[in-house]
Amino acid sequence: MSGSTDTRAADLWAWPEGVARHVLPEVDSTNAQAARLAPHLTQPTWILALRQTAGRARRGRSWQDTPGNFAATLLMRPTGTAQDAALRSFVAALALHEALGAVVGPSANLSIKWPNDVLLNGGKVAGILLESLGGGRAVSHLAIGIGVNLAAAPDVAGLDPVTAPPVSVAGETGLTLPPEEFLTYLAAAFARCEAQLATFGFGPIRTAWLARAARIGQTITARTMTEVIEGRFETIDDTGALVLATAQGRRAVPAADVYF
Amino acid sequence: MTKHPHETDVAFIQALAELLNKNDLTELAVMREYGENDSLEVRVVKQAPVAAAAPVYAAAPAPAALAAPAAAPAPAEDPARHPGAVASPMVGTVYLAAEPGATPFVAVGDAVKEGQTLLIVEAMKTMNHIPAPKSGTVKRILVEDGSAVEYGAPLMIVE
Repeated sequence: MSGSTDTRAADLWAWPEGVARHVLPEVDSTNAQAARLAPHLTQPTWILALRQTAGRARRGRSWQDTPGNFAATLLMRPTGTAQDAALRSFVAALALHEALGAVVGPSANLSIKWPNDVLLNGGKVAGILLESLGGGRAVSHLAIGIGVNLAAAPDVAGLDPVTAPPVSVAGETGLTLPPEEFLTYLAAAFARCEAQLATFGFGPIRTAWLARAARIGQTITARTMTEVIEGRFETIDDTGALVLATAQGRRAVPAADVYF
Repeated sequence: MTKHPHETDVAFIQALAELLNKNDLTELAVMREYGENDSLEVRVVKQAPVAAAAPVYAAAPAPAALAAPAAAPAPAEDPARHPGAVASPMVGTVYLAAEPGATPFVAVGDAVKEGQTLLIVEAMKTMNHIPAPKSGTVKRILVEDGSAVEYGAPLMIVE
């Protein structure tokens, strides 16, 4: 009995079919490497770097890389519009949540901060940055960059105060996991979530995301370059936008930094 | 030169306004050619997404077109209809530079190559690099750094 369970469990976390895997000892940034690979892409490809020398985060912020941490990009050719491509933000967050849950076990206190920051015990354990390449109304390539603090959390002393202080898997759980091994979990989980999106659309992804959302029903702050919007976090709409009930009424926010 | 009746225009504008409401659009611009020197240009705009506000039907250039179609000066050009307009593929936030304080991707007067990044529209933490649809010159930049844009909003004009 236990044998067959093991086999099923192994299948669940096997490397997905039709997906390529590149493991590089060092690269500037996996998203930059993805941009270089894009013209030659024949199948969805994960690019894992054991070391990033110029890791990037949102809006030019640098992503501090520590040896033993996970830094990878999935490069794919999404079908559909740019709005559809952006739904991968939620697919990636769910996949990462699932992969971390499998690794850490049921005791893991995982949640997702809109749209795609995965939190472990309330701290930021991972970051996701998506970049579409060479597309107007339809996106030709999408690079989904994912960084996970497997070994250590970056030092944030001197930086702006953040809403979810960085934590690491090792620091929170004592677990040591090589990045190559974690990639298999993540690739398998992503393939499952992506298949769900392709088959059923955003509905089930949205539902699953909402079930894992941090601070739903509570008052949060969304900060854009031009305004600060405070409101009760009601839901996300069918494009994934953050829906806040503010003093001036309901607002759907497609892009912002969230604070709570 | 046979003039089309005024009621036709009124009915036409009325129909556009209904179309606007029915499809939950915020703006609709149509040019109707009746014949030589006889055309009607209508722009119907719904103001403010606030639910309480009643839709405002502004048939801006229509009266001029009706009164003296040929003599009327060209109405303020609608950038959305410009053949060189680059439209936003999604609702989101515009960034004219890769990061705050950095040199913008392009400036007015710059020569750009097809496929070159003009700006970024962000939604759901997805950075959409908006490429030049063709090689040419950046004629106008219609959005401000950090501003919110709607789907289909004109961002730049490249010709």
